[in-house]
Amino acid sequence: MRLKVLLFGLYWLLWFSSKTNASFKKFIRKSKVRLMIRTADGQFARLFVFDQGKITTAVGPHHAFDAALVWKDAKTAFSVMLKQNMEAFFYAAADGKLKIEGMPVYAQWFDAAMKHI
Amino acid sequence: MTKISGGHLVAKYLKEAEQVTHVFTISGGHIESILDGLTEYGLKTIDVRHEQAAAMMAHAWSVYTNTPGVCLVTAGPGFTNALTGIVNAHLENVPLVVLCGRHPIRDDLKGALQEMNQIDMVKPVTKWCATCYDTRRIPEYLAIAFRQATMGRPGPVFLELPPDILFAEIDGGSSPVVPRRRHKTATRPIQADLEAAARIINAAQKPVLLGGTGIGLSDCGPALKAFVEKTGIPFALINYGRGVLPDDHPLSLSEGGFTGITSGLPVADVIVAVGIRFNWVLQSGQLFPNAKVIRIDIDPHELDRNQTATVGLEGDAGTVLDLLLPLVDKRDHGQWVESFRRAYTAFMTTELEKRRTPSDPIHPSRLVAQIMEVFGTDAYYVADGGDTTYYGLSGFSSVHRAGVQIPAGGLLGCLGTGIPFALAAKLAHPDKPVIVLNGDGSFGFNSMEFDTAVRHNIPIICVVNNDCAWGMIKHSQEISLGHDRCTCADLGMRHYEKMVEGLGGYGEIVTKDEEIIPALKRAAASGKPACVNVVTDPTVTSQATILFYQSFSEL
Ligand SMILES: Cc1ncc(C[n+]2csc(CCOP(=O)(O)OP(=O)(O)O)c2C)c(N)n1
Repeated sequence: MRLKVLLFGLYWLLWFSSKTNASFKKFIRKSKVRLMIRTADGQFARLFVFDQGKITTAVGPHHAFDAALVWKDAKTAFSVMLKQNMEAFFYAAADGKLKIEGMPVYAQWFDAAMKHI
Repeated sequence: MTKISGGHLVAKYLKEAEQVTHVFTISGGHIESILDGLTEYGLKTIDVRHEQAAAMMAHAWSVYTNTPGVCLVTAGPGFTNALTGIVNAHLENVPLVVLCGRHPIRDDLKGALQEMNQIDMVKPVTKWCATCYDTRRIPEYLAIAFRQATMGRPGPVFLELPPDILFAEIDGGSSPVVPRRRHKTATRPIQADLEAAARIINAAQKPVLLGGTGIGLSDCGPALKAFVEKTGIPFALINYGRGVLPDDHPLSLSEGGFTGITSGLPVADVIVAVGIRFNWVLQSGQLFPNAKVIRIDIDPHELDRNQTATVGLEGDAGTVLDLLLPLVDKRDHGQWVESFRRAYTAFMTTELEKRRTPSDPIHPSRLVAQIMEVFGTDAYYVADGGDTTYYGLSGFSSVHRAGVQIPAGGLLGCLGTGIPFALAAKLAHPDKPVIVLNGDGSFGFNSMEFDTAVRHNIPIICVVNNDCAWGMIKHSQEISLGHDRCTCADLGMRHYEKMVEGLGGYGEIVTKDEEIIPALKRAAASGKPACVNVVTDPTVTSQATILFYQSFSEL
């Protein structure tokens, strides 16, 4: 549940920043990226769509994506994502709690985008 | 007294003083006397079909043999055609000796055939360039050329030889060919800096060693092995350093390819950068913003380029590693190495899946995996193209020095380098399979060199990753301009295998996954220069293209 709220909150943060934060706006202005964040069982899943500056979202695991962060479970996802640091993500992957499907370069792009917020 | 012509003196010097065995060339009237000298002294001439390929093959010869490659081109168009190859060697710091014809001194400013100011044109892209005006001084000029190419930070040199001095005959004894010694000038970092570097290395928890061309040119395998095995530091080697320690070394991170390196570097706390430049390939050092960085380079100007070194150590890679060895502690970073590997495996979920799974249409990652299945790590691999280079770099693995090369991924980003590199690799290592994975676009630049391959019996195997497009450009345009506005990006389906067959080689087309391996085996068994034209999925975009596009969209 907490993850659901976090993902929804993340969407609002991204949406708000796309309207108000100049450097974030510049970073995302030409990109088309579909980033999925979900748990392995598909219970929690949210797609973030960046389309040349516009950000939209969709719920559910069955959307097409460029990269997906697939978390072992909601608890891990919540705690690691809240930390917002690369090291936590790296060790989550090393410990088998996170895998990236699709193209990891888009996940790195997302990480770089978040640094503007 | 026996007489010798200037041209013969050039050949005599190359053979006796520098032990040159191969010269890459295209004939021309201005250089005929040198060509005849090469025959006289029994040097092997590899005559190609475009001077660009001669320069690139000589460049690659330096890489594969660690002795300076020599190319001989004629005046004017021979020179201008070779220029791209010279620039490439300049940007890659490779010892390349270019011998070039020139219009006769006698005809200066008269509008002679192929008269042009070659020296001024080549000056900014060579370490040294000169014109020799005196037959007697030919050995002296050549000696300078070879020393300039190889000493300190290596690079291309250019020597212009006018026909007036090449056709002139002198008394054979009046200009002796004296083998020159190669003076190894050891620049040594100060002790305090070595100790500071060792302290950082000894305190590291998550270190990574990144090695580049400097390691390859220093040929310092034993020093590197001793250093990484004592310190326990995992390493990734790129460019001409790749394979100085084999990809299957327990501390090598190469199997993760590009994704592997980029996924772990941001977490590293110490980077030991040896003979590697922080240029665009390494995102100017931005990949590891929080790490302490020890930089080792033969060129002091590289030590702080784009990112200030925590400690900079000037000197030859092997020499400096030897100096550090007694100062560093024996460590075991096994857990860190394991984490690194597991993390990038998790990052590469889809890529690894693609390699394992048959695909229709064929996915380029799968193609690379199938090639590896046939030829394994005891082979030389070259990849050339846009997206194609990404797949090659990620998927190819070799136990040999310079066993995996993507020459188009260097600073010049020059497509067409693949076939010349593969030819040089096969000449240098005739007993090993040499495979070049070529984008269909890039294939076009130097594919006429299959004629060279046939004439000289150089049986490389070229696999064309045929997406019927200038893929990297097309996919960038699709993202930036839209699918309906792609310009100059389509190539259409072409039977490159028939072209190679027409030139006397072996050719096959492959459209089905299950046909890849049998076709590769037949190509190898043919014993001929071969082209396996594999039709791959045109919709697949590589990670490199995404990065490439993103870097432009931030402008
Ligand atoms: C000599 C040269 N000309 C043009 C370019 C620009 N360029 C970069 S990537 C690319 C497309 C390469 O297409 P291909 O060789 O088919 O490989 P793919 O991307 O399809 O794998 C082009 C034209 C270049 N780098 N070098």
